[in-house]
Amino acid sequence: MSNCIEHADWKIHWRVTEAAGLIIYLASYKNRRVMWEGSLPYVTVDHQREVLSIDEESGGDVHGPFWAPLGVRNLVGAIRRSDFRGGFELAADFCVGQGGPFRYTQLWRFHKDGRMAPWLVIHGPGLHDSHTYHPHWRFDFDIDGASDDALEHFEGGRWTRVAEEGWLPYTGESAENSTVWRQIDFGTGAEVAIRPHHWEDAELFAIRYNDAEWPPYSPRSTTVGQTFPAGYTGDDSIDGEDVCLWYVAHVHHDSAFPFTAGPWIKCGF
Amino acid sequence: MDPALFDPLTEGERADALRVLTEDRRLATMAKVARYRVVAVEPLVLKPPHALFGRRVARVVTYDYASDRCVDALVDLDAGVVANLQIHESQPMLGRDEEAQAVAVALADERVKRELGLSDEPLAALHYWSRRDLEISSSRRSAVVLFGQPGARATLVAVVDLVDSQVTEVVPAEQW
Repeated sequence: MSNCIEHADWKIHWRVTEAAGLIIYLASYKNRRVMWEGSLPYVTVDHQREVLSIDEESGGDVHGPFWAPLGVRNLVGAIRRSDFRGGFELAADFCVGQGGPFRYTQLWRFHKDGRMAPWLVIHGPGLHDSHTYHPHWRFDFDIDGASDDALEHFEGGRWTRVAEEGWLPYTGESAENSTVWRQIDFGTGAEVAIRPHHWEDAELFAIRYNDAEWPPYSPRSTTVGQTFPAGYTGDDSIDGEDVCLWYVAHVHHDSAFPFTAGPWIKCGF
Repeated sequence: MDPALFDPLTEGERADALRVLTEDRRLATMAKVARYRVVAVEPLVLKPPHALFGRRVARVVTYDYASDRCVDALVDLDAGVVANLQIHESQPMLGRDEEAQAVAVALADERVKRELGLSDEPLAALHYWSRRDLEISSSRRSAVVLFGQPGARATLVAVVDLVDSQVTEVVPAEQW
């Protein structure tokens, strides 16, 4: 199968990485560049103790997170392409270890109406019922080119311009079309809007693109510092710059698995 | 923009990148002591106006156990030089060798042997760090090895300190 697909007004390229799953790069919609690269750098898993004592100080989180890369070493079978009514999709299955307890299906779906869905189906079952998955997506949108972009966050009943790098959680508030964040190109007015999954406690980190901040091969920046992407977040201005976005979902295990995590992304042009 | 720059590295390009890296004078000690593990070797495409835009670049990430440091380098394959070198304290994912090492250490541990059921086997090795400052795995490169029967939930978790190749904690999976 070719790693370049032109269909439903999209042109995308794909590749399986060593750690960041199935990445999409040089993606265009209606012949206009949308994304330099989109990836899934890691999915960490946290566990909580099943039975808490009254004097538990740690909130039940007695251990730290663990994770294994979703990449060629854990890929099961081939990458699958399917066409559906109004678009196409790519799918990849990953299983951590031999018959391991962590299984995922990564999806990239592209719709003719400009929607894009970078999703992760989490199959479970995990070690026990008290655990949380944290898939981290990284989107390097280059809408009509890399620079001259702005980010807006819907809060307080209106869209607000985000001036500096920062953490932008989904609080339940959204615009009429359920979008919460949007990246806009100043020059053309083109935008991509991001709509989070209602049940995954999503958050967004906005970071100015820096050459030294390529996708990390681990969430762990140092033994004492914040994990990535928070470790990349400083006070750099992002208004009018090349912006890189991290979308982080928090999926708590319950009996309703498999769970499909990830946002809707809609091109507005 | 040439999409071919994103293509996976060939075997020769990977070998070339590693060779260029280990011959770099700044990493002479790492190469000589040879206690490093290769974590990843992948293509990286730099955006304009970066000086490496349009060039075939390999990103090489290794973990040097001798210095407890991560080495993150960009190798310009067109020129055969290390174009960017960062050495820092971040903990990259485990390389395949490290996953195998973690499993071997756990299987050799007497406490693990005592706890395993007859049909239990290693299911997976994953990068791990503790959030409790007093634990070894909060500051040293560590892994967890999950044991159980394939297709079923894990029954046992062993924490492995990869620096000293020892098991530091054995926990029934339901109590993790």
